[in-house]
Amino acid sequence: MKQDDNTKMSEKTLDAELVEQAKKGQMAAFEMLVNRYQQRVANVIAKLVKDRSEIEDVAQEVFIKVFRALPRFRGDSSFYTWVYRIAINTAKNHLVAKSRRIQNTQVDYEEAEAFSSNEAHRNLDTPDAVYARGELEQVMSKAISQLPEDLKTAIILREVDGLSYEEIAEEMACPIGTVRSRIFRARDAIDQALRPLLDREQTKQEHVRSI
Amino acid sequence: MSDQSKQNMSQLMDGELSRDCSRFLLKRMQHDGHFRQSWHHYHLLRSAVQQDHEAPLMYNLGSRVVQKLQVESATVQPANKPSRSWLKALTGSAIAASVALVAVISFNQNAFQTGYSDVNVPEYAKTPHQLINPPNAMTARVEQKPRYTRYPDLTPQVQHYIMDKNTQTVMPIYYRVSSNRLPVQQSIQNQSNLYTDE
Repeated sequence: MKQDDNTKMSEKTLDAELVEQAKKGQMAAFEMLVNRYQQRVANVIAKLVKDRSEIEDVAQEVFIKVFRALPRFRGDSSFYTWVYRIAINTAKNHLVAKSRRIQNTQVDYEEAEAFSSNEAHRNLDTPDAVYARGELEQVMSKAISQLPEDLKTAIILREVDGLSYEEIAEEMACPIGTVRSRIFRARDAIDQALRPLLDREQTKQEHVRSI
Repeated sequence: MSDQSKQNMSQLMDGELSRDCSRFLLKRMQHDGHFRQSWHHYHLLRSAVQQDHEAPLMYNLGSRVVQKLQVESATVQPANKPSRSWLKALTGSAIAASVALVAVISFNQNAFQTGYSDVNVPEYAKTPHQLINPPNAMTARVEQKPRYTRYPDLTPQVQHYIMDKNTQTVMPIYYRVSSNRLPVQQSIQNQSNLYTDE
């Protein structure tokens, strides 16, 4: 059944719905909202903050600021445009604060040089977290490479090129229902591939919390 | 969770699902962790294909942000707990009310015991209406006696002359009434006598 464009909930409206729920204190809605833009925000921060280990912390700070500022978000611009501005400001402030910290600290230059040139030293995550992230990226990369070509093309056209289902249908010369199905099957394949790894990580974290 | 529900979720995140279905699904996702996990995995795929080379792959940052916000609110809450602030306000009001009550009681006791402490403070009429009526129910009009001592350097004859010829209106003075009326008048009399004696 073809859905009329007028009756669809656009991504902007979806964001607005999630924002409204988050404003009412529905943290699950805010969590979903963060995950929608987590990577785009990290990409923006990475343009300014070169230390990979700091990018996630800055991204976290960005979304905490976003949550606190939510009551002031009136929806004049899109949610992402608003978040983007906060991300840029937070990243700049992070750099300023960091340079101040460096100026105010007596640094052993030799140690600092060794630190900045050593990627492993700069990554301040725990070994477990580093391993888990590495494993996650590996599983993800493998799962994407194993996707059938038609599913891979559909998901790339959607997520990278940002095409609508209708545009993808034209591009791939297939009905819109097929596009819908291909995109879903691509996502579901990744979901199935990730579940064992992420379930294991979750169990590990719960075990650590219980100790 | 059925494949149809999952496909709906996939369409929802792309803005390709009908409004009604979207609202229903969003409501359901608020309470269904399994649904939300799939949402996070679908977005992880989005993250992976959108990831820039310089940025790390982000996975379920939302969960960590929410956790941090909850920890922060839990540490801040004891100071701002509504029940406590209500109790604090009530305690403050009770203390303020007690202090006010003690002040009123002690004030009244002083007034009745001494009789002179506040009654000697005159209340002048400030409006034309008060020239006729007392400023409040607890006050009474007391006629001013001629004050010869206003011109002590002059002889009594000259003073009388001035008083007789003075057509300027004398502003009435009000003093507190009831048990203090006599002492007030007495006090005025005493003061007048004192001035005339001088």
